[in-house]
Amino acid sequence: MIECPSCGRRQEPRLVCQDCGAPVGADLDCFAALGLPRKLVIDSSALERVYHDLSRKIHPDRFAQSSPRVRTASLHSTALLTRGYRTLRDPVARGLYWLELNGEKLADNNKSVPPDLAELVFEVQDELAELRGDGAASEYRDRAVRRRAELEAATNALNGDLTANFARWDAGAADAKTLAAELKSTLSKIAYLRTLLRDVDRELENLKAA
Amino acid sequence: MSRILGIDLGTTNSLIAAMENGAPRVIADPATGETLLESVVAIAPDGAVHVGSSAIEMEPHLSVEKNGRVSAVGFPGGEYGAVIRSVKRYMGLGGGEVAPEDRSRYTFADLSGPVVRFQIGKRTFTPPQISAEILKALKERAERALNEKVERVVITVPAYFNDGQRQATKDAGRLAGLEVVRLVNEPTAASLAYGLNKTAEGNVAVYDLGGGTFDISILSIKEGIFEVLATNGDTHLGGDDIDNALVDLLLAELPEQLKHDRHVWNSARRVAEDAKKRLSEAADVDLALELPGHPIRKKLTRAELEKIAQPLVERTLKRCKLALGDARLAAKDVSAIVLVGGATRMPIVRERVAQLFGRESLCSINPDEVVALGAAVQASVLMGTQGDMLLLDVVPLSLGIETMGGVMERLIHRNTTIPTSVTENFTTAVDKQTHVDIHVLQGERELAGDCRSLARFKLGPIEPQPAGLPRIAVTFLIDANGILNVSARDERTGREHSLDVKPSYGLNDEEIERMLEEAIDLGEQDLEQRLLITARNDAEQILVALRKQLGEFPRLIDSRERAQLEEVAERLEVARQKDDRQLISKLVEDLNELSTPFAGRIMNVAIKQALEKKSVEELS
Repeated sequence: MIECPSCGRRQEPRLVCQDCGAPVGADLDCFAALGLPRKLVIDSSALERVYHDLSRKIHPDRFAQSSPRVRTASLHSTALLTRGYRTLRDPVARGLYWLELNGEKLADNNKSVPPDLAELVFEVQDELAELRGDGAASEYRDRAVRRRAELEAATNALNGDLTANFARWDAGAADAKTLAAELKSTLSKIAYLRTLLRDVDRELENLKAA
Repeated sequence: MSRILGIDLGTTNSLIAAMENGAPRVIADPATGETLLESVVAIAPDGAVHVGSSAIEMEPHLSVEKNGRVSAVGFPGGEYGAVIRSVKRYMGLGGGEVAPEDRSRYTFADLSGPVVRFQIGKRTFTPPQISAEILKALKERAERALNEKVERVVITVPAYFNDGQRQATKDAGRLAGLEVVRLVNEPTAASLAYGLNKTAEGNVAVYDLGGGTFDISILSIKEGIFEVLATNGDTHLGGDDIDNALVDLLLAELPEQLKHDRHVWNSARRVAEDAKKRLSEAADVDLALELPGHPIRKKLTRAELEKIAQPLVERTLKRCKLALGDARLAAKDVSAIVLVGGATRMPIVRERVAQLFGRESLCSINPDEVVALGAAVQASVLMGTQGDMLLLDVVPLSLGIETMGGVMERLIHRNTTIPTSVTENFTTAVDKQTHVDIHVLQGERELAGDCRSLARFKLGPIEPQPAGLPRIAVTFLIDANGILNVSARDERTGREHSLDVKPSYGLNDEEIERMLEEAIDLGEQDLEQRLLITARNDAEQILVALRKQLGEFPRLIDSRERAQLEEVAERLEVARQKDDRQLISKLVEDLNELSTPFAGRIMNVAIKQALEKKSVEELS
């Protein structure tokens, strides 16, 4: 139980007081901070609406003239709300957070290349090396641009896998261990593709600057 | 409680604004009618402080003596005064962080310590102390204009200001006797001014090129929520850099030693700044700088200016693209562009920005005033008088800690909405270790050495235990001002640790206390006393003018109007001898209003006479 610093009402930990609507200052997980059930499938525009509505209620700008205790609760609650929103808004961050809630995490900073991506990773690295060596050759540049589009398409496909995995969690379609393994594999591949995309972009940007 | 005002503490000019009847308004100096206060502070040899145009008058300028020698004159009879411009470029910097081109402008007491110190005569001053003088002048101006105490303010800062620069700005407010209720990012403030009447909605880009800094912010404005998606910038890129490049061009043919003379440089800068402004309208201008033996005459075309400005503008566009990338938007997704800062008056800036975003910019609000107006809007949000409007801003730079091997571990990423916090668990590396050192960093680079050191602190004392057993949770919280707060808790005992966080740069509390005690202005009188003197001077001015006019133009006023004026003048004459400042100010206002029709008639006559005289001259 926690006491609302504005009206004194004792209640279960929540973001806003059930009586006066002021920030309570309780510690909450990302879902609880936004008042959402623990479900992985989230409608992004509804999420934004909830975030904006709650911000209007508890943001420090609303309590600039309140007592220090209320201001602290507002600051603390808004920080939790912001963290919750940012985590849940991005499917990858949401997936990683879900693993954490389930006592799992991506293996050791995700250092080993996922086996089915290994070949692709080496290919792209080689191509980038050639591009760095002879950026003037338009064939290398064109290949990098094509590669970029390919990587983007692959990422989109993986995002689709992620959405499917989320729906399976919510439906209880398999046991947690199986679903977590699936989720980890997809997230790890997405992380790798993102790194590759960033590398390609950086090289193309360098070319443009030169 | 007194109301909250908005202040734009700019590199070149500063302004103060308030909400009036639901609309923000810049407060003009009641004596001069000026809205801009030049961010120039002069400290005379006797310790007297001047701010704004009176400080500029103190600025040493070149004088040619009879024997043809050029010398600098400034403060009458003294050599120890100093006139400081662009103090904002030095705010929050450690001595070693001052940009090379900013090192030669002034004499510094110390360029190795955690704070820059200007050496002026036998005394030294920190940038927050100098900025505080600008804030005091604005506060006093507003108090005279509004006839009320000003105690609480919102101050704007460049969005790309780091933690130290923000803290220094808050320190300046404290030194000026003001409570800084909130620091607001300048581009965000500008969006508030435009968004207030829904001129800007949807995805909005604010391009802010000021005297010394550049900011770009991308916002989403929706139903009164102003959510910053990304911000980027450069705290050392602005219109000043164009002026400096022009100075180099102007002085190119001078002998080396003259080129580096501070006074020659200052004079050339004034010529350059003026030329830049005129070239926004004209296609070419003539430049002239009188140096005996080296008279400089040059013609400068807009094309030449644009060639100089081009690389700087390109740098700002690169920042815009980075911000768009962070906001995950394409240039075409931006539905409105807001221009802020005097340098955006340059045609080349407007053209290139329009090219990048594929549309024209909004500029219906004066770019010099829009930030101050937005600060006033945010002040009214904080007072709870702005309905549903709410600003969700971001932290511009990532925050992290130094880990093993000198690597920066990012805990809070740039462009995270604030306030935000992250909790990190720490433990010990060796048995019976009683302290853990933590080094907090800000920046985007991988290595700790390449990021800016923000603060250091020691966790502990920790009860001696085997290595890895203690668990201390440290919470890094960035508040709505973009300033870091740290707290720690022992996870086993649940006890809060007290922390002594030592900022790597800037002033500590004791130093600020000491500065508060020894105000810069040695001859400074109590504020109320000063306001009273100003009010009496205003009274005397208007009484003298009125008597003169009544004497010169008796036929322009009828006896009833005359009697009315004389009656109020009589009362003001009596009040002037006493100490009731409010009464004096009120009577001055009354008399001003009452005499307006009379003054209008005098003006008409004067114009008529001037026209007649002119036509007579033309005939002969």
